[in-house]
Amino acid sequence: MSLSNLIQNWNSFRTRRPYEGQYEDAPYKWAMVIDLDSCIGCNACTVACYAENNLPVVGKERFGKGQAMHWIRIERYWGADEAKATEFPERGAEYLPMLCQQCEAAPCEPVCPVGATHHSPDGLNTQVYNRCVGSRYCSANCPYKVRYFNWWNYPDRAWPNPLELQLNPDVTVRSKGVMEKCTFCMQRLRAGMDKAKTEGRILADGEVLTACAQACPTSAITFGNWADKKSKVARMWKNQQVDLAKNSQEKSEEGIRGYRILEDLNTYPSVVYLERLRNLEA
Amino acid sequence: MTMSNLDRRDFLKVLGISGAAATLAGCGHTSIESGVEEVMSYVNPQDFVVPGIGVFYASTCAQCGSGCGIMGKVREGRVLKLEGNPESGISGGKICGLGQAGVQAHYNPDRLRTPMYQGEGGLTPVSWERAHQILEQRLGPNSPLKGEQIAFLTGGVSGHQRVLLENFLETFDSTHHVAYDALSTATGRAASKAILGAEQPLWNIHKARLIVSFGNDFLGNGVSPVYMARQYALFRKAPRGTLIQIEPRMTLTGGNADRWYPIKPGTEGILALGIAHDLLQHEEFSKGVPQEVLDLVKNYDRDAVSDITGIGSDAVRLIAAQLWNNSPSLVIAGPSVEGHSYGFSNAAAVQLLNVILGNRGTTMEGQSEHPFPQLTPVLGNYQALVDLNQKMASGQTQALLIYGTNPVFTAPSHLPFAESMSKVPFKVAFVTHMDETAGHCDLILPLLSALEDFGSHVAEYQPEGVEVMLQQPLMEKLYPESKGYGDILLSVLKKRKPEAYAGFPDYYSYLKTAMVKAKPVFKVSDSDDHFWEDALRNGLVKWDGKPTSLESRLPALTMPKPAELATDYPFYFVPSIRPDMRDGRHAYLPWLQESPETMTTVVWDSWVEMHPKMAEAMQIKEGDILQIQSATGSVRAKAYLFPGIQPDTVSMPLGQGHTQLGRFATGVGVNPYKILDPIFDAHTGELAMHATRVAVRKTGEYQKIVKDEGPTTFQGGQKLVATLPADQAKLSKEI
Repeated sequence: MSLSNLIQNWNSFRTRRPYEGQYEDAPYKWAMVIDLDSCIGCNACTVACYAENNLPVVGKERFGKGQAMHWIRIERYWGADEAKATEFPERGAEYLPMLCQQCEAAPCEPVCPVGATHHSPDGLNTQVYNRCVGSRYCSANCPYKVRYFNWWNYPDRAWPNPLELQLNPDVTVRSKGVMEKCTFCMQRLRAGMDKAKTEGRILADGEVLTACAQACPTSAITFGNWADKKSKVARMWKNQQVDLAKNSQEKSEEGIRGYRILEDLNTYPSVVYLERLRNLEA
Repeated sequence: MTMSNLDRRDFLKVLGISGAAATLAGCGHTSIESGVEEVMSYVNPQDFVVPGIGVFYASTCAQCGSGCGIMGKVREGRVLKLEGNPESGISGGKICGLGQAGVQAHYNPDRLRTPMYQGEGGLTPVSWERAHQILEQRLGPNSPLKGEQIAFLTGGVSGHQRVLLENFLETFDSTHHVAYDALSTATGRAASKAILGAEQPLWNIHKARLIVSFGNDFLGNGVSPVYMARQYALFRKAPRGTLIQIEPRMTLTGGNADRWYPIKPGTEGILALGIAHDLLQHEEFSKGVPQEVLDLVKNYDRDAVSDITGIGSDAVRLIAAQLWNNSPSLVIAGPSVEGHSYGFSNAAAVQLLNVILGNRGTTMEGQSEHPFPQLTPVLGNYQALVDLNQKMASGQTQALLIYGTNPVFTAPSHLPFAESMSKVPFKVAFVTHMDETAGHCDLILPLLSALEDFGSHVAEYQPEGVEVMLQQPLMEKLYPESKGYGDILLSVLKKRKPEAYAGFPDYYSYLKTAMVKAKPVFKVSDSDDHFWEDALRNGLVKWDGKPTSLESRLPALTMPKPAELATDYPFYFVPSIRPDMRDGRHAYLPWLQESPETMTTVVWDSWVEMHPKMAEAMQIKEGDILQIQSATGSVRAKAYLFPGIQPDTVSMPLGQGHTQLGRFATGVGVNPYKILDPIFDAHTGELAMHATRVAVRKTGEYQKIVKDEGPTTFQGGQKLVATLPADQAKLSKEI
């Protein structure tokens, strides 16, 4: 992508998303639901992501500088108000798997000076490594802090021989100076979509999973094709009364758990979380 | 072709389309060993082996003893990723982080690549020819060793690895298999056996309406965490069950509790008796309870219990009321209950609740009978190590073989294992990595990784009948000078007892023959080869078993009152078990080092957890380096302020502080095993891991804690994690 091309086609990069009926005719729109009442905080998803996506281990010093490369992480909160009110976290901890929310109106996208981060037709917020010039503006603009910058040339050091033999050949190993992030395991999606296309069909529900969803011992993560209204993920969104194109959700009754994180920033995330439950009578 | 004139590779080829054969045939053409990828010559590839397309092969995870079925994605002769195997009733297609890291154990840069021998010039690499020579000299047919002069020290071991080990010892007229587990649950098991009639009953978690867990981290590192997590997910669906967790230091499971109670360490049994006291007020529960139990319980009214445990008397009432109202329930005990000098009584008192509540037959059942008792796991304990240490120190032990355990690292400092080892003339370690114990051995043999070797595993916890899990190589071995554990044992056995073992060219043929011989038990009418190929393809063979009934008893118990904290050592010390590091054997896996420990989010380190209020009183801030002093020894680590801890308690994670386990583990953190006091359970003799008391001293030094933790659950005024009262949720209407 040249700069002139970028300027000429600026409008295609600045499409206002989401809009009504955006995915009506699209074969795919990838989305996720994470049930916080099922998530046990075990880190199976995070390790699975390291294994699938060639994430480098950065070591203690760099981790301490905030240079960890975990595309999905488990955030652990104590529930600020509760912890202050009582001495102990008597309702347990709050575990939050945080990964790129694949926002429809992603704050990272318009600020990229070279169009390295852009929206794909199947609703993913993608990062094109060989366009990225490392301005890091996208990361600064991301409210979820799920973009990770390669401060070092990890291929030189992160996989001492023979650890590099484990690297997934379907996933680029990123070099110094580029930004990276969760892709919803795009390599799996790509392979699956190509296979389905060859066979003249669209992917069946559950045929392709992200590495995190596949590993999750409690099946807290549901992943699928939101454009397919019969998919589990689409039915869950509907059941939880979350509208992709709205920035606040009206619920028909109390007790419907679906919500999107920092939705009022108009990011229109593709990840719905289901509220954590606690039996307060216990 | 007969078996005897085939080498192992040829033998695999005979298998044709079955899993292992195809993998090995495929990777035979790559240049794996040099680490250089080459264009492959697929002269005669299997139809389904296409360059660029991964193929999954079933195997069994060897990272812990749960026996999860896994699948390895293999491409161009390399195993790339592990997933759960849906055929396995244990893993059900799921996998934990520790299991995922199995590929890093396999590709670890610090793997031992050649045999090493401790000669006059120190530790030097030797050839296998020389290693076999040494083995034969010492343990061959002319060895004079007999009985307990030889000892085989292992961690938990099951399946045919266990059978072969016992057969090996038998040729010395020995049964001296010493199984040691640094995280032994022998005390808890003994209590469970005494009360419920089974060391490890089946827990029907998904059937329970209420689980009261006394310090059992069943989601993090219990007997079968992936299976338990799957059951837990069902338990939380409509009608949603409630989890109450009572423990001195919040575990991963505790973090998931609807209600979490911090309890003074060692007073769990008293709280259980207090709950029993309340329950037995009702005739429904007191019916049939023997008089001595009623007599025991009557001393524990709410106020007395509250004084001792630090749990308010309202809370005691509330827990009892909920157990009363929510049937069936499930009450379980964990390491923090059993790790005391009266750990047996403590755990027995907790199990008593299950009997009173009538959970037998609903949420608790006996495990199925086992068709192959000789394949069941031998579980380690601490007492076995003490006995061995004594025999070594007295000069009785002449040869020691070590496999799958690292006592020099995990034994407390009052058990001078390394010193005693020096009195043994011949010590052999079977390892994939040089560790602290191997460092004290004479002959160190490099093993194949779990992803390169054959094996069979039988898990202790068998949720659905009995599964014999098969482990098969997912790729060709990385190092030509590494060998399988079974192959090495077999090579010695063939010399000692040729008439019985000459027919097996290798462990693979031994395993196959053994499995095929067992075919009738599985009621399979296939041909032998079909049966074996199916078993490898599925990664397991299932035997239909039914849960058995439990014979519970209510024996008389005595419950000592725990001693108060003394002024010299004013803190309880809780060593916590990390779900990923376990006893420390996994500290060399970089993914796990960099994986934030969930409760604290700390990485690559050891730390001391302390309640913020106590820290405030002592003017301790996060990152202050503290000296933790017990009567036995001391360690230094950074303070981490942690609200999920009983205030008179400090806690440190186990597993770090290696001096020899490769570049990712060595020098990271400190080893709290070494400050544990010599306190033992009165009934079982097991090390009481939670009974040590310590003093905490500020050193005046400070180092920043490296962690992933952010400031707060609020961002821009919006709460990131929302919580809904469970009774308002409409789970039954959800998809």
